[in-house]
Amino acid sequence: MLAITNLVTQFASIKALDSISFQAKPGLITTVIGANGAGKSTLLRTISGLERPSSGSITWFDEELTHKSVEAIVRSGISQVPEGHAVISQLSVAENIELGGLFRKRIARGDLTIATKEVYELFPILFERRNEPAGSLSGGERQMLAISRALVSRPKLLLLDEPSLGLAPLIAAQIISIINELCRSTGLTVLLVEQNANTALAVADHGILLALGKVVADLPAKEMAADSSLRAAYLGY
Amino acid sequence: MTPFLTAFFSGTAQGAIYALVSLGLVLVWRSAGVVNFAQMGQAMFTTYIASQLIQNNYSYWSAFLIALISGAALGALVDLGLMRPLTSRKNSQLLNSQSMRTTIPVIASLGILGVLKALAGIFWAGEERGFPSPVAPNAIKIGDTSLAITGFDLFVIGTVFLTLVLTTIFFTKTGMGLAMRASALNPEVTRLSGIKVGSVRTLGWAISGIASSLAGLLVTPRTNLSPNTLDLLLIIGFTAAVVGGLSSLAGSVLGGFILGYVISFVNVYSAPENVFIAILAFLLLALFLRPQGILGSKEVRSV
Repeated sequence: MLAITNLVTQFASIKALDSISFQAKPGLITTVIGANGAGKSTLLRTISGLERPSSGSITWFDEELTHKSVEAIVRSGISQVPEGHAVISQLSVAENIELGGLFRKRIARGDLTIATKEVYELFPILFERRNEPAGSLSGGERQMLAISRALVSRPKLLLLDEPSLGLAPLIAAQIISIINELCRSTGLTVLLVEQNANTALAVADHGILLALGKVVADLPAKEMAADSSLRAAYLGY
Repeated sequence: MTPFLTAFFSGTAQGAIYALVSLGLVLVWRSAGVVNFAQMGQAMFTTYIASQLIQNNYSYWSAFLIALISGAALGALVDLGLMRPLTSRKNSQLLNSQSMRTTIPVIASLGILGVLKALAGIFWAGEERGFPSPVAPNAIKIGDTSLAITGFDLFVIGTVFLTLVLTTIFFTKTGMGLAMRASALNPEVTRLSGIKVGSVRTLGWAISGIASSLAGLLVTPRTNLSPNTLDLLLIIGFTAAVVGGLSSLAGSVLGGFILGYVISFVNVYSAPENVFIAILAFLLLALFLRPQGILGSKEVRSV
């Protein structure tokens, strides 16, 4: 279980995360929703170690993550798919995927081959285009590649930062549903940050609503989706 | 032998050395974002080490090998002992500004250059000395005609060629090479892939140290060795790197060979005193026509 306790991350004097606490249960999808600037991305970047919290703690089961380096956090099974379909465009598709598993090459070479085969089965288009530079892919394919890069590291917790951002609705729905299937079939824990609350709540088990760096609602996804006053107050529809 | 072939062969041999220097500069520039002015100081120092070993009756090849290893160690040491502490975020308020963060390592590299020259002065009294070559510097003869290429030229070209092949294999076929390319292109995504970008950067400094140390060993049989002889090589190597496109390893090598030909042809067809003007003219021309370098890519800013 991922437990966030009284987490504060600030930039100069602005608190992007203002004493946040919540938990994400193993094997389930927890979605973090909220308007622009609510602190969603900062939350994920703090969990993966890219930003340093000024106080509070982050634990994954018994493991304290709060002051670990980014690399150490990835190596303990927590993988982030950053915002904006982050792939390395000058490298080939296959190289981007290889990069994700590189740190396991010496300890689990056999499993790495299997994991690579699995992501190619999950996204056959990536196999077809494996020798092309990642920069030549479409937005949806780049997102698939960013997810694949994270998956070959065999994460136990997958952090997704706005995977549907900038994608055509059909492609976005397809990617969200693949993540959903993955979670259900492999027991992967997912923390899904989304601006598109409807899409996210439809697949998630639990919802966390952020506003101006604070948790304003922590509810089962179904209840949150049904609560029209919350939506009106914080998401504006 | 026609002057043309003379210029061509000597240009190839010189260009091979410039390519090494340029490669070393680009490696550090790409992995650490630093223009390393100490690079040829490092090469000078390791060549003195080799020279000392040969004086103490070590064989040429063991001195050669030890010089390369010291080159790697010195490069790594510069990063671990100086560059890393200088750029660590905790270090100083000064580093809050981006321009200071990029300038401080460059100034520090000038400092290292000064220290290495001073150390060479202390250990070896700064004396100018010859440095041996493993093959005779005589022109190669086919029958009675002697070619415009010496055995030493062939040794230089062969060694550099082998180095470039090994470097290419390292970068394209190994996981560590992939990690190095990825760290240079996108450090954040690379860190999120679980790769220790800091260690990868140190490796970049070490490989650059080997390349420049090799350049020192290959150029000094012709120029002699003193604390200042390799300064000119840095200027030419830097020009080659800019001409080739600072961000491209292949471009830096190509730039090195082109500079070799420019210098050699001006030497043969014009006069040696015009070489500097030619280098400058060539640099300006290249910057006007292709500011991103021959193989460099234009920076694309996404908004």
